[in-house]
Amino acid sequence: MNAVTSARPVSDVAHATCLGIADLSARARAGAKGPGTAAWLAGLGLPLPARPNSWLALPEGGLIARLGNTEYLIEGNAALVESVLRAPRAAGVYPVLRQDAAFALCGSRVNELLLQVCNVDFRCLAADPALVLLTSMAGVGVTVLRSGDIANPVFRLWCDGTYGHYLATTLLEIAGELGGGGIAPDLLP
Amino acid sequence: MRLPPISGEWIDRATTLSFSFEGKSYEGHAGDSISSALLAADAGMLGRSFKYHRPRSVLSMANHDVNTVCQWGERPNVRADVTPLQAGMALTAVNTFGGLAADKARHLGKFARFMPVGFYYKSFYSKKLFPMWERMFRTLTGLGKVDFATPHLRTAKRYDFCDVLVIGAGPSGLSAALAAAEQGAEVVIVDENARAGGSAGYALGAEAARAAQHAEQLAAVEAHPAIRLLTGTYAAGYYTDHWIPLVDGDVLTKMRARSVVVASGAYEQPAVFHNNDLPGVMLASAAQRLIYRYAVRPMQKAVVLVANQDGYRAALDLAAHGIEVVAVVDLRPEPAAGEAEQAVKAKGIRVLTGHCIVEALPGSHGQSVAGAVVAKTPQPGEMPGSERETLVCDGIVMSVGWAPAANLLYQAGTRMRYEKALEQFVPDTLPAGVFACGRVNGVHTLASRRLDGQRAGSAAAANAGFGAAQAIAVPAETESPSHPWPIVSHPKGKNFVDFDEDLQLQDFQNAVQEGFDNIELLKRFSTVGMGPSQGKHSNMNALRILARLVGKEPQQVGTTTARPFFHPVPMALLGGRGFNPERQTPLQSRHDALGAQWMPAGVWQRPEYYRVANQDRLSCIRSEVTAVRQGLGIIDVGTLGKLEVIGPQAAEFLERVYISKYAGLKVGMTRYAVMCDESGVVIDDGVVARLAEDHFYFTTTTSGAATIYRELSRLNTLWQLDCGIVNHTGAFAAVNLAGPKSREVLGKLTKLDLSSTAFPYLALREGTVAGIPARLMRVGFVGEWGYEIHVPANQGAALWDALMAAGQPAGIRPFGVEAQRLLRLEKGHIIIGQDTDGLSNPYDVGLDWATKMDKPFFVGKRSLQVIERQPRKQQLVGFVLGERFTGQAPQECHLVIENGEIAGRVTSIAWSPTLGRHIGLAFVRPSQAAPGTSIAIRLSDGSTVQASVARLPFYDPDNLKQKEAA
Repeated sequence: MNAVTSARPVSDVAHATCLGIADLSARARAGAKGPGTAAWLAGLGLPLPARPNSWLALPEGGLIARLGNTEYLIEGNAALVESVLRAPRAAGVYPVLRQDAAFALCGSRVNELLLQVCNVDFRCLAADPALVLLTSMAGVGVTVLRSGDIANPVFRLWCDGTYGHYLATTLLEIAGELGGGGIAPDLLP
Repeated sequence: MRLPPISGEWIDRATTLSFSFEGKSYEGHAGDSISSALLAADAGMLGRSFKYHRPRSVLSMANHDVNTVCQWGERPNVRADVTPLQAGMALTAVNTFGGLAADKARHLGKFARFMPVGFYYKSFYSKKLFPMWERMFRTLTGLGKVDFATPHLRTAKRYDFCDVLVIGAGPSGLSAALAAAEQGAEVVIVDENARAGGSAGYALGAEAARAAQHAEQLAAVEAHPAIRLLTGTYAAGYYTDHWIPLVDGDVLTKMRARSVVVASGAYEQPAVFHNNDLPGVMLASAAQRLIYRYAVRPMQKAVVLVANQDGYRAALDLAAHGIEVVAVVDLRPEPAAGEAEQAVKAKGIRVLTGHCIVEALPGSHGQSVAGAVVAKTPQPGEMPGSERETLVCDGIVMSVGWAPAANLLYQAGTRMRYEKALEQFVPDTLPAGVFACGRVNGVHTLASRRLDGQRAGSAAAANAGFGAAQAIAVPAETESPSHPWPIVSHPKGKNFVDFDEDLQLQDFQNAVQEGFDNIELLKRFSTVGMGPSQGKHSNMNALRILARLVGKEPQQVGTTTARPFFHPVPMALLGGRGFNPERQTPLQSRHDALGAQWMPAGVWQRPEYYRVANQDRLSCIRSEVTAVRQGLGIIDVGTLGKLEVIGPQAAEFLERVYISKYAGLKVGMTRYAVMCDESGVVIDDGVVARLAEDHFYFTTTTSGAATIYRELSRLNTLWQLDCGIVNHTGAFAAVNLAGPKSREVLGKLTKLDLSSTAFPYLALREGTVAGIPARLMRVGFVGEWGYEIHVPANQGAALWDALMAAGQPAGIRPFGVEAQRLLRLEKGHIIIGQDTDGLSNPYDVGLDWATKMDKPFFVGKRSLQVIERQPRKQQLVGFVLGERFTGQAPQECHLVIENGEIAGRVTSIAWSPTLGRHIGLAFVRPSQAAPGTSIAIRLSDGSTVQASVARLPFYDPDNLKQKEAA
């Protein structure tokens, strides 16, 4: 899946400064839910976010996000993700095949883009950067978190992969109006 | 005429803009409104009234001058009083026949006595003639003209957030913003005007100190880092939880605030006297706006009609800018002496207390003012005495009272009360988180308004969690800012109460006399307040008139409902960018490459069929059907809902949600699954596959995926079974490889044993296909040997490519939704939602065999227990048309008729290339369900086609196609 770069293959430093959208759908990820999942993941050596709807950066790179009470998303380090995927399922663990479309938004006008597609006040993520939001963006269910520093925030989005093309097209259309566009992931701050 | 430069004026004299109005060329300046530029060029008449086509001009200069709206190209109803002038504008007045000056309808006023209030209700009720009247009125009425070729502007819509939203950037609003921001709140303050300040910028009474205070306050707001000042932006309504649509020229913003301060001010109200609508009669605030914003002298010689200190202040502003104030006419016999009044007298301006204007004398062609006839103020409802004096002037300025701009407060649920001391409605009980200050709150004195704003801003910030509310005492007003009866009767009428609708004082008396003595009834009968300004200048006077006519107090009469929007919101903004989410399977690009003709299927786009050169739609579909029947076809079924239930009680869960049994389903097998709701109505179907003792993978219909997942999640939460549900709809790609050659082709790509003994019909296997991990199910929806193959979405395209390549020697054809519909119809399989409706139970549609009433429980069982004991009302059956039928075939939803009554309807019908005849499914009466029964189907044109009930399935009734011998 490469919804952004296939729709608009632009890697532009100017976009990254103003409003950049990077497609991170190809990153490795795994998921699981169920009452036994926390213990199962801990047994695999993963740190766990203490609160529902919060996330942690993984020491090896990537992140683990707790979506609700008992669901987790692990993304990033391919070897780590593979080890989770291959681990035998335990009682109370329901594996979730993560085939998300995933994006990262950055730049000085990123907030204006978010205001045009979502009715959530993302200022709450600045106040509590460990938060994970599950909401609707341009009519599509998304998971959102904020990384990066205070001055250069990066908003990460995940949605069902079958909505990926639509969401990317919508975000790129608005980003284009705001002077931004698609960027390569290496241009993210 | 343009005045010399004035400090703070909005116009840029260095930039001259050329434009035309009614075909005549004019020049104005950047910063002008259309009206100000025209008045600066001494264009007296700017428009015609709605009903009588009387000459009209400026009234408010505050976005309420609905008699001076213009047509600007494709844009109708451009409000000239506030719309910024642009170079090259070509403007015409609306509502004229032959132009503004030569309007053919200008004589309508002479027939006014034949057009009293509500005359059309009485004159044009004839049903027979109504179409003619309707056409006539549609021609005569309406303002601007809509150009249907206008391009659709896709404007942005956006959300925004703040702690405190202040509506209105007048002196009280600016104070409120500063107070809230000082307590730490993030504040947004909006004002519909191009610049902030409100009346603080123009109601100066020629006092330099007022202007200085205003400049200082505005500078403080603009410099405050926690305040965003949005000018040219109006709050269009109030919605629950402090959602406020903010409208500017380009964007509609849905603002969510923790607290809202309404500092929206008040509308200055006109006085009612004969000819009070002549060009040159205007509100005092309009004259002051013309002077201080646009440096336009509104008249040479003015008579100022007042009932408060604001009026005296207006007289001083006029005098300070070279306008001769002939007299100040004060309705009050003994006004409380105020500073402004003293200053007026000190200037030697004549003051007539206890006097009213009886009528304005028209100038040439009724397009200007020639004088004002004054007399002693009569008792309310009485005619003025005969002792009168004519004051020669070319303009009349009115300042007799205010009506609160409380529209948003009403919408928020504020209870208002009529404050007799102020002669004004004021907020009595405000909703939580909503605050009011300034004139809308009954506070009119400038210093008090600033204090009131400070009080409200502080309280709003505290409500939002910032600091504590300051206890600030706001002094009471020392005089009533509004006169209780600024209305003068006149035997010749033309004393207008509503300028939008040309309603005169007598119209109200007539309406009440006819029994419309309730404010809501009066509104609808007379149309008062129903014009474009929505009663901003008429409702208060109408209310006073009604109260006096029925002997009530204004509080008892009450107000009409104030609904959004505050001003008309352009369609371009309302119809701006919308979001229409659309899902694509991972095979989208493959379908595009193969010439797919797309069709919507819920939120999905699916190939209806694949285009073939020189073949029409039906030929393409039928050739796809033939390919599946005789060789090999492949269809993308990735849109099916794909769910998993995992856990020790997974089987128990499925037993409860589906009508069939799954506890005994063997690992590696699948079973058809039908779901009912609590009332026993069939709502979904699919296939349940058992991957392990505690692990099931199951499909739902394409359109049902999201809702079924939600419902199952709800049920699982309710039942607390030891299992979990995972929605994998988007995570798996899926195809159905179907046809006699499917096994042969699949065999090239997998090591799985595909023999019928190792992989029998309805079995499930996990393995690899073209090296891709896959779940394979032997299904027969289309009636041929086939495999539904499910793989991770990111490998769907690779699977498709491999199957297409391997199938090429076998003549593989992709087939679309239409071919699949036809194939399954031949096989007699139903489609939920097409062959069922919101009342169909399993018995109606021949699913008795799947309904296991011996289970202890399943959703819908209790209803089905009742239903099965009742006589059947309908039955879904197969039918065929005659083999040689050549006429017009029935269509889906055509009715089955028996003895002249509706007996059922067709749910599916198609010409079957396999069977060479029309086949279909239809609901019929149970008495008609036996094979061979003749049924009559009525077509759209009323003719009838005979069909025969046929046994299902039409194709391969013994299911031989799924057996090895086939």
